[in-house]
Amino acid sequence: MSIVTQWLGYPAAYDRILSMIGIEVHWAILQYVLGLPFMAFIAELLYLKTGQAKWLRLAKTLAKGFILVFAVGAATGTASEFGLVILWPNLLEAAGRYIYFPLYAEIFAFIMEVIFIYLLWYGWGRLPRRVHAIIALLAFLGAWYSAAMIISVNSYMVAPTGIHAAYDPYAGWKYGGGYPKIELYVPGTVLKVLDVDKLVSLGMELQGMDGSGAWVLMPVSIVRQLADEAWQGYRVQDSILRSVLKPEYAEDQAILQMPVKSLIDTILTATIKKIGIYTVTFKSPVYLGSLLHALGSGLTVSGFTVLAAYILRMVRMPSSASEEYRDYVRSAYRFAAVFSLIIIALQGTVFGHELGTAVAMYNPEKFAAMEGTSTQLSLNLAKLLGAEKLMPLIAYGDLNAKLPVYDDIPGNYCALPGISLGFSCRPPLIIHYLYYSKIILGTLLGLYALLVVFFLWRRGEPPTVLAKLGLAAPIFAQLVSFLGWATREIGRKPWTIYGVMTVDTAHTVNPPSISEAVLVASFFIMVLAALTYLVWRLLWIPGREGV
Amino acid sequence: MEASVLFMAFTFGIHIVLVNLGIAFSTLVPYLKWRGEKSGDSGLVKVSRELMRFYAATYALGGVFGTAFTVFLLSFYPGFIGFAGHLLLIPFGISAVFIIIHFFSIAAYWYGWERLNVRLHNLIGIVLALSAYLIPLGFRATFAFLNIPQGLRFLDADGYKAYLDLAEALGNPTFLPLYLKSLVGALTAGLLAVSGSYAYRVLRRGHMEEAWRRLIENTLPWAMLGLAAMAALGFWYAISLSGVEYKFNNIFGGLGWSVGSGIIYHDYSWLFLVKMALVAIQVLAIAYVFHEKITGAPELSERSLKLLVLAGSAGLMTIVMGEYLNAFSQYPYFVADITDPAVLSSIPEPLQPTLASILDLTRTNPLASGRGLLALTIGAMGALLVAALFFLYVLLYGKEREG
Repeated sequence: MSIVTQWLGYPAAYDRILSMIGIEVHWAILQYVLGLPFMAFIAELLYLKTGQAKWLRLAKTLAKGFILVFAVGAATGTASEFGLVILWPNLLEAAGRYIYFPLYAEIFAFIMEVIFIYLLWYGWGRLPRRVHAIIALLAFLGAWYSAAMIISVNSYMVAPTGIHAAYDPYAGWKYGGGYPKIELYVPGTVLKVLDVDKLVSLGMELQGMDGSGAWVLMPVSIVRQLADEAWQGYRVQDSILRSVLKPEYAEDQAILQMPVKSLIDTILTATIKKIGIYTVTFKSPVYLGSLLHALGSGLTVSGFTVLAAYILRMVRMPSSASEEYRDYVRSAYRFAAVFSLIIIALQGTVFGHELGTAVAMYNPEKFAAMEGTSTQLSLNLAKLLGAEKLMPLIAYGDLNAKLPVYDDIPGNYCALPGISLGFSCRPPLIIHYLYYSKIILGTLLGLYALLVVFFLWRRGEPPTVLAKLGLAAPIFAQLVSFLGWATREIGRKPWTIYGVMTVDTAHTVNPPSISEAVLVASFFIMVLAALTYLVWRLLWIPGREGV
Repeated sequence: MEASVLFMAFTFGIHIVLVNLGIAFSTLVPYLKWRGEKSGDSGLVKVSRELMRFYAATYALGGVFGTAFTVFLLSFYPGFIGFAGHLLLIPFGISAVFIIIHFFSIAAYWYGWERLNVRLHNLIGIVLALSAYLIPLGFRATFAFLNIPQGLRFLDADGYKAYLDLAEALGNPTFLPLYLKSLVGALTAGLLAVSGSYAYRVLRRGHMEEAWRRLIENTLPWAMLGLAAMAALGFWYAISLSGVEYKFNNIFGGLGWSVGSGIIYHDYSWLFLVKMALVAIQVLAIAYVFHEKITGAPELSERSLKLLVLAGSAGLMTIVMGEYLNAFSQYPYFVADITDPAVLSSIPEPLQPTLASILDLTRTNPLASGRGLLALTIGAMGALLVAALFFLYVLLYGKEREG
């Protein structure tokens, strides 16, 4: 089976692709929403410190780009939101029911963003300089606050709070013990009807009891099955739960007629209350790394895009251009080059590392696919680059640790014995190429920024050929960002929420036809093309001298 | 009434005002520019650009409050979103597509001003207007479905696999009057709000510019016509609701007009009367200005200008009251007709208790019912509203500074 066939083999392939296109368009735009206001803020601070008009001009140009992409982002975000509701309604229902708080708190982020973004623009020349700088600060904090909220939900989907992975870097896979497992709090009202010994024989571990219930570690195979039954509308009498009822409740009609969803709701509601209604997603073990990496991605893409915009201006500098304009363009170019170098260095060595180690620890199946520890791959990029031997040290801090072997992951670890899912539980191996392509391109971008800054430092400006190469930097930066995001999202399959809900459960019962999916996908691609054109026109034309 | 319902009403109220203004701006801006250019009236073109600037600045605000509404809905009523998500592919899909087209037409129209050739720019203006009219199409189809769940079908005996028969859903008797009423209402209220804004400007600055005068005088007959059309469409909508006993009686029962059993569950006729009073203010204000004009007054008097400011505000409040009346009159149900035994019996028996639960506005998500969340919402919304008012102040009245 080819790696593409494997990826398409999980349920709802067309709708996954459709969502991928819609959300990627939104994600590509968000890079600038996260990065440009921060850069504008720094430029405005430089203006406040030096009083030089060139920094004000740069800040205004960056803010203008930011406003444009924010408005597009609001439109594509709305479309993406509707897309999620109509393609993955069960996921949305689960998110709204149990991990709603960050989404709820993001409302205030949206409003904060839109108010301060417009104040940033319309307040120029109408507000005192320092007040305006505070507005600029609030504008980028609004965007980052929004990111902090949504990334927490996404982090929960990658590694939910309470997940216990199935891998030990020294002992290997732990599927034999029923792992991966997830911590749940089972209220006494539910516990009293369940045969705990039977559940223990299925892999459940009792962690501790209090007056009102018990903490358990539940195998994800059981959790997945119950989530599926809940959203399929099963009642206890048709559920696997019937086999773990205590004998005295086995024929109790009140229990047998109960919807599985009600029972699951009782357990999940109690669990979320115990962990923290407002904090549950922020406690995801991959949250910190994910947030830093997402912000770093936005800053990196923005930095390289601004760099390319000013290279273009230098290349097309009219011979009649004033010294003032030349100085502005040179300064903006230097600013963007240094900014890009600092951010990409941090992104690779600190933020990316933080996220990578968390994924290795808490989502080892995905990590195994990222590293491509499989004989199914004819070309292993990790081996080719010599990263294979170094990776245990990077991921686990010990050269003697072992990487998880993909081929040893049971294809049915997410299913209960005797239940056929019709798809493999192993993550798609395609992410090995996505991930290593990202690493290679990201490293090249970093080296490019290093060279440019080196020449700026030693000679005042880089060689023309080197500078012109930077024109392609935004495309590569966006590509790196896309590959990182794709690794994250595609690599989670077949799970939608790792350890809890697979894509088939999350999916709508009324999916669009292929022609409808193609039509909407084409529309989104046209949106991205139109946006690219608009950014080009609006960042380039107004910045030209005399315009 | 639940805090969740009030939060949703609050955000929806702001959203709907901005959206209605957006529909009016999307019509008025390209029209005024086209007319100004055709007649060589630079004043009209200037007014058009001013309105476009305001629209470009507030467009995203409306979108954000719309998103806030849907997130409230998701957080407080996740079961409803989960159920509706399976059904609303086409209506939501239509709206989502036109939202994006509309956004791009705003950007292209704004940034293409004096950069694109006139013919192309005017063509984009047409797209701007048409997309504004088509965004509500999907949403109003959904609202009609919430009146009468026409087209709801089930694939299995348990009812867990539901789908929407689109043709039947579009034949919902409440859809067309609701959609047309929404468009005409938006245009009418928007025209009056624009007239009122310029009237306020005249009062504030103490002088009238020729273009403003023509704008005010030309919009008023259309606004009056819109109010007359609203009366007819409102009556049509009321008649279409006569099959939805619960809602109809909650709106009109208190006025002595009821259907079926005649039972009034929650009397919202007072809200209907408030709405009518607001309409009366608009009619009287316009009539007064007409009267003044007919009796030969050379300029709009201060009283006329003040009445126009009042009429503009009343127009926007009418929109809000109309939406609240439409929504609250079916409280506490998401689907007004769900109380009808015939509708209830068409739903497979195993699904009935689940549906009764997820369509009940009093049953909020237990995890989203804490006092902390209530305090946070009120505090954050309050602070952000102050910031929004500050923004509008800077936008409308901010003076240019040195440096």
